[in-house]
Amino acid sequence: MRALNTAATGMMAQELNVQVIANNIANMRTTGYKRQRAEFQDMLYEHVRRIGVQTSTQGNILPVGVDLGSGVKTVGTPRIITQGTLTQTGGPLDLAIQGDGYFKIQRPDGTFAYTRDGSFQMDAQGRIVTAQGNLVMPGVTIPPNSSALTINSQGQVSVIPQGSTTPTTLGQLTITSFLNEAGLLPVGDNLFTETPASGPPQDGLAATNGLGSLQQGNLENSNVEPVTEISDLISAQRAYEMNSKVISAADQMLQTVTGLFR
Amino acid sequence: MENSLLVGLSRQMVLERQLDVVANNVANMNTTGFKADNAMFEEYLMPVARENRFQPADRVVDFVNDRGTWRDTRAGAIQHTGNPLDVAINGDGYITVQTANGPRYTRNGSLQINAQGQLVTTDGSLVLGDSGPIVFQTTDHNIAITPDGRITVVEAGATNTESVRGQIRIVTFASPQLLQKEGNNNYSAPAGVAPVPDTSSTLIQGSIEKSNVNGVVEVSRLIEISRAYAQIAQMLQNESDLHKNAISQLATVPS
Repeated sequence: MRALNTAATGMMAQELNVQVIANNIANMRTTGYKRQRAEFQDMLYEHVRRIGVQTSTQGNILPVGVDLGSGVKTVGTPRIITQGTLTQTGGPLDLAIQGDGYFKIQRPDGTFAYTRDGSFQMDAQGRIVTAQGNLVMPGVTIPPNSSALTINSQGQVSVIPQGSTTPTTLGQLTITSFLNEAGLLPVGDNLFTETPASGPPQDGLAATNGLGSLQQGNLENSNVEPVTEISDLISAQRAYEMNSKVISAADQMLQTVTGLFR
Repeated sequence: MENSLLVGLSRQMVLERQLDVVANNVANMNTTGFKADNAMFEEYLMPVARENRFQPADRVVDFVNDRGTWRDTRAGAIQHTGNPLDVAINGDGYITVQTANGPRYTRNGSLQINAQGQLVTTDGSLVLGDSGPIVFQTTDHNIAITPDGRITVVEAGATNTESVRGQIRIVTFASPQLLQKEGNNNYSAPAGVAPVPDTSSTLIQGSIEKSNVNGVVEVSRLIEISRAYAQIAQMLQNESDLHKNAISQLATVPS
């Protein structure tokens, strides 16, 4: 019975769908999180009778054939890159990107990762780091006892040093864009790394060349919409149930066959 | 004499195939752009098998044969995703994609950009525009897709001027039922079926077309199939009992 296997692929696909939805809902309040969607495709077809074969020497052709599908497969979980809403936090090192682009982060092993999560901190040396302590590129050090930390929309960090009244610019944060943001590899901790599918990173400055602008004192919320997720969850659960009904129907039919022997 | 068994068997085999079709529909309930299949039957007159038990005698026996599966080409529900590279086709058109086996047609508008900047489907096939694949520059942003399939972007440095990157080739077919499902949400056109440019279909950016499988219909069909199957099995059982009784009673030698 092919239907048993076909329905099993359907159940597996819906299980994965629920897993993706669960992850979206779990990250509903994660700063800078982008929701994912499970994307499915139908599997190979067995052409029991091919469309278009000639049925007579007069050139009549079969207008329809018998095509039996073999189920569904998951092709990917693309990330939906839309802008999340901004929440005002007032924290001087809370940054949100309004528009395209990622913050460039140096990981402990020296490699770079990219994030939309701009909830930065200052470490013991006064450097701007992420919540995990990774350096935000290109590495801006804030001198001790300085006041009025300002990061403008283009990423320029300026402070008023101790004993002075005029602000000094300390550096400018870089923003990186990718051609195919959906192709970035999520590595956890709100970080992404580049892949062949994402294209090479294009470093640039905020609010130039189409890159987004920085908003100090704001954080970007996740773009998960609870209503969408819940309606997706309902449809995934129902689809799972219906697939299980197909399995039990196929099972009953097999049972009927077994019942023929006496 | 054995005809009723064979007629019943022909029905059961067809029901199994029909169950396969239903199972595939249900499995693809959440597949973007999927179109449900339906099985179609015909009676098959067996010229050599005759039934003499009826009046008038010598009737031709009918078997069941599955003649084909036809596709329900009705549009699926449109779901808003907000993703700039998701397009739903409003109308009967298909997006043309380039695969290793030649051009294929799809209703799955969940598009992506690959590392070379080309517009591709989720399985990596190139989406064809009016002049070949559609390629983006690495610095392009604000991708917009117009209802007639034109893709415009704002180039780096420019603020308000839009540049056209291509136009998605939307095609239609005189008899869409002749298209063959190939898996991967793609359809292939058999020889002699040529695509014609579709000007009536429009694209809706930021949305995808859901599968048009109707869960209620599929489950009721499922019940119908399993009941019909059990019914035929019962009939075969009765027929077999009949034979058994005939053998045991007729063959009893009166003492």
